[in-house]
Amino acid sequence: MANTVGTVQMLQVADAVDPTDPAELIAAAADGDVSAFEHLYRQFSPRVFGLCLRMTGQREAAEDCTQESFMAAWRALASFEKRSRFSTWLHRIAVHTVLSRRRGLRVKYEVAEPASGLPEVADPGSDSPPLDIERAIAALPEGARHVLVLAGIYGFSHAEVGQALGIAEGTCKAQLHRARGLLAAALGVETS
Amino acid sequence: MNDPMQKSLDDLLADLPRDMPPPPYLWPGIARRLPRRRRRTNPVLLAAAAGLACACLASALTWAVLHGRPTVSATQPTLLATQPAAQPPATRAPTLDEPQNASYVAARDSLELNFRRQLALLDPATRAKIEANLAIIRQAHEDIRKALASDPASPVLEQLWQSTWHDEIDLYEHVVQATQPPMTRT
Repeated sequence: MANTVGTVQMLQVADAVDPTDPAELIAAAADGDVSAFEHLYRQFSPRVFGLCLRMTGQREAAEDCTQESFMAAWRALASFEKRSRFSTWLHRIAVHTVLSRRRGLRVKYEVAEPASGLPEVADPGSDSPPLDIERAIAALPEGARHVLVLAGIYGFSHAEVGQALGIAEGTCKAQLHRARGLLAAALGVETS
Repeated sequence: MNDPMQKSLDDLLADLPRDMPPPPYLWPGIARRLPRRRRRTNPVLLAAAAGLACACLASALTWAVLHGRPTVSATQPTLLATQPAAQPPATRAPTLDEPQNASYVAARDSLELNFRRQLALLDPATRAKIEANLAIIRQAHEDIRKALASDPASPVLEQLWQSTWHDEIDLYEHVVQATQPPMTRT
């Protein structure tokens, strides 16, 4: 993370755009400033990549989706309305990209290995959560995984998740309940 | 039975890092594929456009001033002969991006020579205004030329660049025409 911050600070943005001010960066990027957009990428891509990786369960797919998301964001920046937060807007694009890609590839990759991009071994001395949970999330049925990732990890509301996934809010809640049950069983933990 | 020391599912989910650094090769791939957009606010372009606007306004003012001045009398050609020679027309070196058509260049030089002669007939204040207008046009031309160097495919800049030549010629013509003795019916 420190390296990322250092890289961000070293980047040169044209015309005295404050690289720490997302609003200025967004305005400059919407105006065609690639350097400003790179700043935005450095700042927001870790969250987008994490979201894509957990939703797809595949590193390669997550990389593709992250790239596609930022390209879509670049194309749509001029229409970004400052009423919503940029991160929220960008995450919606990422979710839409993952779902669109999944719909497009459903026939071809129905039996793809779900956890192929995740690390193989957990670091026993680390304070970070066990990697088993990542594997367990990746192994969840797709619908349940999407709801768990969006609502259970990234804090989307059930209404937002339902809208993004094209399911009713009640279905979303049911899927989350199911996902939590499956996950708890897989990990041998209590749900709360 | 679960270990009481074991974290609950909520704790495990809460502890999950939301951010995961993407691989470093991702951004270069994105940057390569980004469709380039033309920046809306190009300072050079704005300066050039402002210069052009000033030039047009100044030309109009010049024309109005010259129309309001007393007409040159028929005796003035003789006066002209006694006056110091008009300044040489083209002291600036031609640049590579100027129109290179020989007949065009000759016509422009002839017009500029005529312009310089007629300019010498005007009072100093009017002459200073016209010279200032000409400087504005040439500055606009230079600004657009620089902008074109960095964005040679821009049709807008190309059009603006050509229009500065027209503005310069227009200014010459306005001065020459406005200082001609009025035609009289016989």
